[in-house]
Amino acid sequence: MEPLTIALPKGRMQDAALELLQAIGLGPTPEALNGRKLVFPDASGSVRYVLAKPADVPTYVEYGAADVGVAGEDVLRESGRQVYEPLRLGFGQCRLMLAGPPEARDRNLRLDIGLRVASKYPRLAQAYCLKQGIPAEIIPMSGSVELAPVVGLADLLVDLVETGTTLRENGLVELDLIMRSEAVLIVNRASHKLRFAAIQRLISDLSSVVAAKGARS
Amino acid sequence: MDPFDALERQTPVGVADLFYEQAAAKTMLEQRVQQLFARWGYARIIPPTFEFYDTLATQASPQLRQQLYRFVDRTGRMLALRPDMTVPIARIAATKLYDQPRPLRFYYVGNVFRHEEIQAGRQREFSQAGVELLGADTSTADAEIVCLAVETMLALGLEDFQINLGHVGFLQGLLSDTALDENARSRVEQAIDQRSDAAIRETTRAIGMDPAVSRAIQAIPQLCGGAKVLDSARDLALGGSARQAIDRLAEVYEQVRNYGLGEHVILDLGEIRTMGYYTGITFHGYASGLGFPVCGGGRYDKLVASFGADMPAVGFAIGIERAMLVTRAQARVGVDLLLGPASSPRCMRLAQHARQAGLTVQVDVLDRDAIALEAYGRATGARRAIYCSPSDDASEQACLLLGDEPRSASLDQMEREIDAWNH
Repeated sequence: MEPLTIALPKGRMQDAALELLQAIGLGPTPEALNGRKLVFPDASGSVRYVLAKPADVPTYVEYGAADVGVAGEDVLRESGRQVYEPLRLGFGQCRLMLAGPPEARDRNLRLDIGLRVASKYPRLAQAYCLKQGIPAEIIPMSGSVELAPVVGLADLLVDLVETGTTLRENGLVELDLIMRSEAVLIVNRASHKLRFAAIQRLISDLSSVVAAKGARS
Repeated sequence: MDPFDALERQTPVGVADLFYEQAAAKTMLEQRVQQLFARWGYARIIPPTFEFYDTLATQASPQLRQQLYRFVDRTGRMLALRPDMTVPIARIAATKLYDQPRPLRFYYVGNVFRHEEIQAGRQREFSQAGVELLGADTSTADAEIVCLAVETMLALGLEDFQINLGHVGFLQGLLSDTALDENARSRVEQAIDQRSDAAIRETTRAIGMDPAVSRAIQAIPQLCGGAKVLDSARDLALGGSARQAIDRLAEVYEQVRNYGLGEHVILDLGEIRTMGYYTGITFHGYASGLGFPVCGGGRYDKLVASFGADMPAVGFAIGIERAMLVTRAQARVGVDLLLGPASSPRCMRLAQHARQAGLTVQVDVLDRDAIALEAYGRATGARRAIYCSPSDDASEQACLLLGDEPRSASLDQMEREIDAWNH
C-alpha cells in the first residue's frame, strides 16, 4: 500500500499543524524538518508529508498528489478546488476583511465609480464586490497589499486580518467582514473513498484532539 | 524571445492533439469497451455533435448549463455542443424510438464538450464511452448497469478500483419531510458534499431543521461501506421514500453480488454529487492513483419523459482519457512489415501477400535504398522491414533488414516466411 500523503502548509500555520499531528502520534521528525527536503517519510512508513506553499495545498489535494492536507478556508475558497473538508482544526483563525482609509467609512461604495481594490484574494474580492453591488476593478497582488492604498495604487484592499496592527500602522481601518477563516482538514474526493478506513481514523483521531483543545481553551 | 509569439498556430486551452502512442492507446481502450458493451447486447448509437441549446439544457444543473459551448446558427437559433451523451440519447429514444420493443439498449463512444477548469485527464473536449438501458424501471436493470461498470473497469485492466453506489432518493426522502426552499436545500447538499461535519451542523441548525432529520443528515458521511450501511440507513430513514430508496439499493446490491461482482462495490449514501437528471441509484468509479472519478452513472426516470415519451432509464459513462491515465495504457505503434521500394513490382506483390495474410503493411513511396529503409523502419517502430532488390539472382530478390537475422531470399521463400509470421 502506498503511504498516505499529507500536505502541510509552510509558514503561518505550519507549527500548529505539526503540533496537532504530534498529538495523535504522527508528524515528521524535527531532524527531517530542519533539512532541505520537501518530502518526509514517517517513521512507520505508512504516512509521508509534503511541505507546500499554503495556496498550493488545495491543488495538491484536488489532484490526489496528496490524499489529505491542511489549508486555511480563505485559501481554499480562493482556489475553488473541489475537495472534502471534513474537519475544522481550531487554529489559524483570522478574518478576510475589506479595509481602506478611514474616510471610506462615510462613502457609499455602491455609488462610487472607478474604485480599485487590491487583494491577494482576487476571486473572493471579486465575488464580494459583485454581491455587494460595488463596481470595482480588482487588482491582483502577491504581497504587501497594505501598500496599495497608501501609494494610490488602489482605493481599498481585501486581505486577512489577525490582529489589525499592520492596518493601523499604515493608517487603514477595517470596513467590512467578508468571511471568517480557520484551518481545515481537506481530503481528496477519490482518496476519501479508496482509503476510507485510514482517513476516517485520521479524522476521528484529530477530531478528539481538536475537541479536547477546544474544551481547555 | 516573446513567450506569446505565434500562439495562434497552437490550439486553444482545453483541446488536445493525439497521435502515435496516445492515439493508438485511446483507440485500443475505446475498442475494448465497445466489444464489452456489444457482448452485453448493447447496440451502437451515434447522436449528433451539436443540437438545439434547449434540448441539451434539459434538466441540466445550472453549473452544467454554464459549461455549455453555445453558438448561434444563421437563422438565429441557439445551438450547443453536447456536454454528455445521455441527454441526446434520451431525446432520440423519446422522439424516434418511442414505439420500439422495450427495453432499448445502446452504447456510445464519442467526444463531449464542457467549458470547465482543466483537470487531470479531462480537457474541455473529452471522450466518453457508455451505455443507456431505456424502458426498464427494475432493480435488475440497475444491477446490470452497475455490473457493466465493474466489468468495464476490469476490461481496462484495473485491479485496485471500486464503485461507490448510492441513491439520490435517500437524501431527497429525508429532505422532503421538511419544508425547505431551494436555497436551503442546496446549502444542505453542499455541506454533505463537502463532508464537513461542522458545516452540516451549522446549516441544519440555521435553517431550523427537525432534530431527527438533522441527525440522519449528519450521519450521511459515515454511511459508506458494506451491507451494514443498509441497516444503519434503515434506522435513520424516517419517511417512506427514504426507506424505499434503501430497499432498492439493497436489491441492487444483492443482485450485483449474485453476478459475483460485489467485492468491487461500496455502498455510499454520501454519493450525492450527480448530474441534475438522476432520480434513483447513482454511482462513481474510483481507481487507485487518480484523484478524480473514472466513471459515473445512475438512473434517470424523468429525463426521457421531458422529450415526450415516458421511459425510465439507467446508464453510465467512462472518461476515456482518465482511463488512459489510470491504466497507463500502452499501445503498439508501427506496422508489422515495412516494404520498399514501392516502385518495385516485387515490393507490390509481397505487400499484397502480407496484407492478405493479415499483417499491417506499409510500402516506402519515397523509394529509399536498403540502408535508409532500415533506418526509417527503426524510427517508426516497424517490426520487420524487407527491401526488394532489383537483382537478377533469384536468391537475392528480397532482403530482410529488421526484426530477424538479416538475410536474402527469393520472393517465393519470402512469401512462405510471411505466412509463418502471422501475428
